[in-house]
Amino acid sequence: MQRNSLKAFAVGAVGCLALGLLPGCGGESSTTTSPDSASDATANPAAGTSATGTGTLVIRANGEDFVREGFTTKDGWAIEFDHVYVSLSEITAAQTDPPFDPDAGTDLQAKAEVRVEGTQVVDLAEGDESAEPVVVSEVEAPAGRFNALAWRMVPAETGPSEDHTIWMQGTATKAGETVPFTLKLTEELAFTCGDFVGDERKGVLAAGDVADLEATFHFDHLFGDGDAPADDSLNTGALGFDPFAALARNGVVDLDSAALQAGLSETDYTTFLSILPSLGHVGEGHCREVRLTTL
Amino acid sequence: MKFKFALAWALGAASLGGPVLAHGVVLEHRQLSSVEVAAQFETGEPMANAQVLVYAPDNPSEPWQQGNTDDQGRFSFVPDTTLVGNWEVMVRQAGHGAIATIPIGAATGGEATNLALEAEAEPSPESLISPSTTLSPVQRGITIGSVIWGFIGTALFFARGKR
Repeated sequence: MQRNSLKAFAVGAVGCLALGLLPGCGGESSTTTSPDSASDATANPAAGTSATGTGTLVIRANGEDFVREGFTTKDGWAIEFDHVYVSLSEITAAQTDPPFDPDAGTDLQAKAEVRVEGTQVVDLAEGDESAEPVVVSEVEAPAGRFNALAWRMVPAETGPSEDHTIWMQGTATKAGETVPFTLKLTEELAFTCGDFVGDERKGVLAAGDVADLEATFHFDHLFGDGDAPADDSLNTGALGFDPFAALARNGVVDLDSAALQAGLSETDYTTFLSILPSLGHVGEGHCREVRLTTL
Repeated sequence: MKFKFALAWALGAASLGGPVLAHGVVLEHRQLSSVEVAAQFETGEPMANAQVLVYAPDNPSEPWQQGNTDDQGRFSFVPDTTLVGNWEVMVRQAGHGAIATIPIGAATGGEATNLALEAEAEPSPESLISPSTTLSPVQRGITIGSVIWGFIGTALFFARGKR
């Protein structure tokens, strides 16, 4: 009898032991989970999620002071822009949670989004030094925190920059020589960006209120900045204006993408193509370019 | 230009140490949860003396705290853990900047946990790893099978009767 009782105890104990050990195993193979804050954040409109009501979201495009005021390139050319047309399409503003990180390789997870219909062409050189960044569109949008912005650059359907995505027109002066230039690009680009980084925060939209978002273009990445040190990575990675000036005919630079491919050295053309995906920003915040970089 | 943020989040129970009296001097200490941000350019150069703006979850428009990184590009702050949600740290210098988002939940207490996170910009919420208290489907199946096996074994034992 005593032996049978021991057997019963042993059989039951094995089952219970298996049951008891497993939670311990589960604890050791811990899984990655979102912290409590992630779920709590969804209840907080300021933290990037939808609130009740709607407001007006103003989408702007900004070529910064480089475009409106002119600047000196890394190789000493004083650039003045008359026009910088950019053709923007599929402009989408989104409230994301978690916040979108363009450098992380993760997808943008929109809780709410609004889109500007059609293709918009704006002149980034419009206005003087004190001008506000040019308005691309105004859309009614759900209140909340718009912390992501995406857009495509497609050929303009009409207007002075028709058939081109970026059209830069101005003058470049160096050592008393002034060269009128027009750079007409057809490369298509697509940018997906995170939160605006700058002097002020943007995209915080309260019901009945107005908030800005901004697509920012860093043309100093293409030409370099004479005010920055020569060994600054901005300048070491920039093309400057000399390669374009070398392609002038009768003192005028008038080049489209095909002429650039044909005229620039292989190294310079590769550099040129590598710079285009870095033009798009949100203030100082980065964007992920997915069109040209995947060709 | 891209940045790298290294975040170290020392999460511990806020505690107040008892006063130490020595010749009329009173010292008290508190152990607090702190977040340390290390910002550097992608070249590896620290973003020294860069502007830092810390935004609390309840007000993304106005900085909760401002400061500058040190010579090594580091900046630390002690968040108010009653403000649950995504804290944001914006680091800017010479026309370049980035934001790190740090999800902070309710204070958990217990032993200190060190999280060394490194990312090019923002760590995702999944970067915070917490032990799971739930079982995987395989573990759940084994558990259920073990219980059933235990009951069957016990029942068969008593069903044998006396020989």
